[in-house]
Amino acid sequence: MLRVIWGCAWKDIRSALTERSTLVQSITLPVNYLIMMSLFVLAGSHAPTAVVMYDHGPYARQFVTTMSHAASFRLETTSAAAARQQLRAGNLVAVVTIPAGFDKAVAAHQRMAIPVQVNNLDEDLTDDAHRAMRLVVTQFYAHADPGLVSIVTSEQDAYAHDTGYIPFLALSIIVIALMVSGLLQAGNAASRDWENSTIKELLLAPARSWEVLAGRMLGAFLVALPAAVVVLSVVIFVVGDHPARLALTCAASMLTLAVFVAAGNVLGTALKDRSTLAVLTRALPVPLFFLSGVFGPIGFQTGAVQGIATVLPIHYAIVLEQLGFKWFVTSTLTPATDALILAGYLAAFICLSGIALRLSRPSAARA
Amino acid sequence: MTALRTSPVQAGQLGPAPETTPSAAIALHDVTRQFGRGKKLFTAVSQLNLEVAGGQVLGLLGPNGSGKTTTINMISGLIPPTSGTITILGMKVEARRTRRQVRQLLGTVPQETALYNELTAQANMAFHADLYRVPARDKADRIARLLDLVSLADRADSRVKTFSGGMKRRLAIARALLHDPEVIILDEPTLGVDVHARAAIWGYIRDLRDRGKTILLTTNQLEEAQELCDELAIIDHGQLVATGTPATLRRSYGATVVSLHVQTMAAPTTLGYAIEDLRRLGGVTDVTAEPAADASHVLAVATQEHAEIADIIGVTAHWCVIADVSIHETSLDEAFLSLTGRELRD
Repeated sequence: MLRVIWGCAWKDIRSALTERSTLVQSITLPVNYLIMMSLFVLAGSHAPTAVVMYDHGPYARQFVTTMSHAASFRLETTSAAAARQQLRAGNLVAVVTIPAGFDKAVAAHQRMAIPVQVNNLDEDLTDDAHRAMRLVVTQFYAHADPGLVSIVTSEQDAYAHDTGYIPFLALSIIVIALMVSGLLQAGNAASRDWENSTIKELLLAPARSWEVLAGRMLGAFLVALPAAVVVLSVVIFVVGDHPARLALTCAASMLTLAVFVAAGNVLGTALKDRSTLAVLTRALPVPLFFLSGVFGPIGFQTGAVQGIATVLPIHYAIVLEQLGFKWFVTSTLTPATDALILAGYLAAFICLSGIALRLSRPSAARA
Repeated sequence: MTALRTSPVQAGQLGPAPETTPSAAIALHDVTRQFGRGKKLFTAVSQLNLEVAGGQVLGLLGPNGSGKTTTINMISGLIPPTSGTITILGMKVEARRTRRQVRQLLGTVPQETALYNELTAQANMAFHADLYRVPARDKADRIARLLDLVSLADRADSRVKTFSGGMKRRLAIARALLHDPEVIILDEPTLGVDVHARAAIWGYIRDLRDRGKTILLTTNQLEEAQELCDELAIIDHGQLVATGTPATLRRSYGATVVSLHVQTMAAPTTLGYAIEDLRRLGGVTDVTAEPAADASHVLAVATQEHAEIADIIGVTAHWCVIADVSIHETSLDEAFLSLTGRELRD
């Protein structure tokens, strides 16, 4: 039994190693997603803003410092002419002018208007600038004249440390990496047998169907594993996400990879064509990634997103990665339930693989 | 006992399928295979009855699309028959309990060879050995011996994609023999190979026959069928149309034509008497007369019995002066064409 399983696995590993482009793709595609998402997050996080200072007094400087701590602006202090030119050129979201007499007005508790010129081309950044300026004013007064701001918040954090958006999303990217490499390797192994008619060698053998399937899945799993390790290493050593529970992280990653290897097996057997499979494995991850509620805990999402996400295995895989890496609970279910559901997907895809193989016997005869 | 017991179309229509002969290595009883549904329903094989005795080589002949490969696929267990039963050495091919045992007994060389082109010849053989559970201690030795047998020992570590068509066929045959099967199925074993490779493959098949293996091969090449097969079964439109040894089929489904160049100048009316007497002879199927030069004629007498040739010459000599006699024996090709028609099949 083990000999047949290992024979099938070893055959698929050797075949896969002859297709270097597929191996490279299973690493580069997820790394590209990581880079793409990081750029997306970086591009949307801080609005480039110029500060023109006609007053350099302590209150004026304090106001600018408060702005820089608002985590919404990428600040640059410049002249009025340079700021105007930059705004016209589309390089700035806003120009904030600290007028002359700012310090005196603050000290005298006089009303003071701070001119803000906004390039409202991008509504998202414009809203960020609006919200941040209101926050800056409150923060400034809380510091400059604490007696004026009597209400303060008392925050209790669920976790010891805040998590950056990129490290949060990077864990979802690990799942995408596991998905792409699993689908690609298992799908290719299955499709290759149909394209080259070698499926007959498997179907005519006295081996049991489940032995052939297990061997094929083991081969694809072992070929996809290095790609997953590379992406995991990028997330750990480049992004700086260190697993809080290494064993859980490894177990979650392996279960996720096994799910997508089984799914790839179904897809490859059904499609019987590597070029169609290649298109699908490039096209599927991005929409599935967004539909899986990756941008925060599932409970934070809208009802529609929650509904879609909970039918996709990616969601449960992301939940388990968040738990393994950060000990974050991002699901409304218990971790054991999430793991069981993911294992259920694995069982379902294995059953579908067997059915697909059985149903495809007439196709093998016509091949 | 005949190696092959068959029920051609006529027999199938007249009565029930014959009982399986105990010694039959391969037996098909009333086997039908259909593909598709509704308006797209297509019957690839219909009510096929066929038995091959152990140690015999049966050639399954038929035009393209006649149902040969479907028959082979059913025998090898790749697809189940829609109805009817197939047994290999007495075990049902599709029965859950015997399915794996049957596959262990079969060595199949598919038309497209089904080799892993990206792997080496050695790796292809090793994988087959694992699939068919060749004892681990014998694996290396058997692979080496079989690669040597098909003259590929020096290419054992070359990838199959670098092989010619003939080399691939030889390797596929070696692979099919690795688990020492009792019954070997060869689907167009010499398709697309050169003369040298074909001669080599024929040599392996003869060797297997001498070792008592039962072989079922399909071919489009009648020369090959004549060279290798003890028995032939001709299949067309999914039905068995004729069976027998190559010689029997030639005689049964083709005609020997005796051409007699006769002088008729002295007594022209005697030619008519000669034709009348010739038509009365047993075995004669047709007599035609064509005028030739110098007031002579050529009589063409078609017969299915060799024994009639002496009578034909005697009868003709009684009425005419025979200047020349030539005999044209029908070929297997002609027998095949007479059975399956001459229209192109693509």
